[in-house]
Amino acid sequence: MKALVSHPRVHLVLRLLLGAFFVYASLDKIANPAAFAKVVYQWQVVGPVPSNVVAVTLPWIELLAGGLLIAGAWRREAALVVTVLLVVFVVAAGSVMARGIDVLNCGCVSLAKDAVPSAWPPAWMKGVGWFLVTRNLLMLAAAATLVTAGRAGQGAGAIEHRQPSGALPEATGSGGAGGLP
Amino acid sequence: MLLFLDMTVDWKRFMLILAAGASWGFAWNALSSRGIVLGQSVLVQAGDELVAAPECKRLLDRGALFLDARPRDFWRMSRIPGALPLPEEDFDRAFREAEPRLRRANAIVVYCGGYGCEASHLVARKLRAKGFAAAILDEGMPAWQDAALPLDTEPRP
Repeated sequence: MKALVSHPRVHLVLRLLLGAFFVYASLDKIANPAAFAKVVYQWQVVGPVPSNVVAVTLPWIELLAGGLLIAGAWRREAALVVTVLLVVFVVAAGSVMARGIDVLNCGCVSLAKDAVPSAWPPAWMKGVGWFLVTRNLLMLAAAATLVTAGRAGQGAGAIEHRQPSGALPEATGSGGAGGLP
Repeated sequence: MLLFLDMTVDWKRFMLILAAGASWGFAWNALSSRGIVLGQSVLVQAGDELVAAPECKRLLDRGALFLDARPRDFWRMSRIPGALPLPEEDFDRAFREAEPRLRRANAIVVYCGGYGCEASHLVARKLRAKGFAAAILDEGMPAWQDAALPLDTEPRP
């Protein structure tokens, strides 16, 4: 298991999947800030004005971090941003569930309101509940893996940046994450 | 968490990602036609009159008519005393039922499930379009309950 988690190809797959998810998740929110602000407010974690600030800034941070993960630039830092976001999402979802607040659309990916309730995705996949928490915890594990990748010399992008000698450019630098090409 | 304090993470880059993302967000919001007003709730539009729970109680004591904009099942379970159901998703039918009472009301207050609930705003606007001025209970039922104001919890059919 440890060998699998530390394998550069696994890091590459995790990076692309995580990056693609966050880029995709940001697009509808960027296009509809008012709808996203309402969803953030429905979580009842912050008030209406802070909800607006979250709605305006969060999708762009998701887009930037996701884009950097896909591009392979500043990988560890982008993964750390995603990690922090996912920790916040998990804690907020736990708070919503503990208070018994019914959030029908978590606003994680799509903000569309169904005029007619659709069979897919089912409500338990769209709302704030155990599915969302589990999904976020899995992504959190992936993001944390990418953050810690390379600490022992197995850089997340090692497979793409392997030098002719076999040495990894990230393994020794304090800046570490590979840097912009 | 100590793992993330490892020096292989460049904290300047980390902060730069957050700052750049936030800056782009504010810039996009300022320049885009879809931008929102940051200083007020996105639920509030011009003409909406928000009233805090204690003031709503005073209106109730003076005979104001309260309208419950939540789905009807919620009204059946509990409601502000004397409130009529006027669910947003069934507005037209419920309005026809409530219209005689609305015409006799000296003041109208609409409420819904609170916080992110938009139903009371939508119902108040629909009423306004039909010529009825209606205030909105700010933060809805949770604010009413937080203020320990009376609730009618007798089940209704």
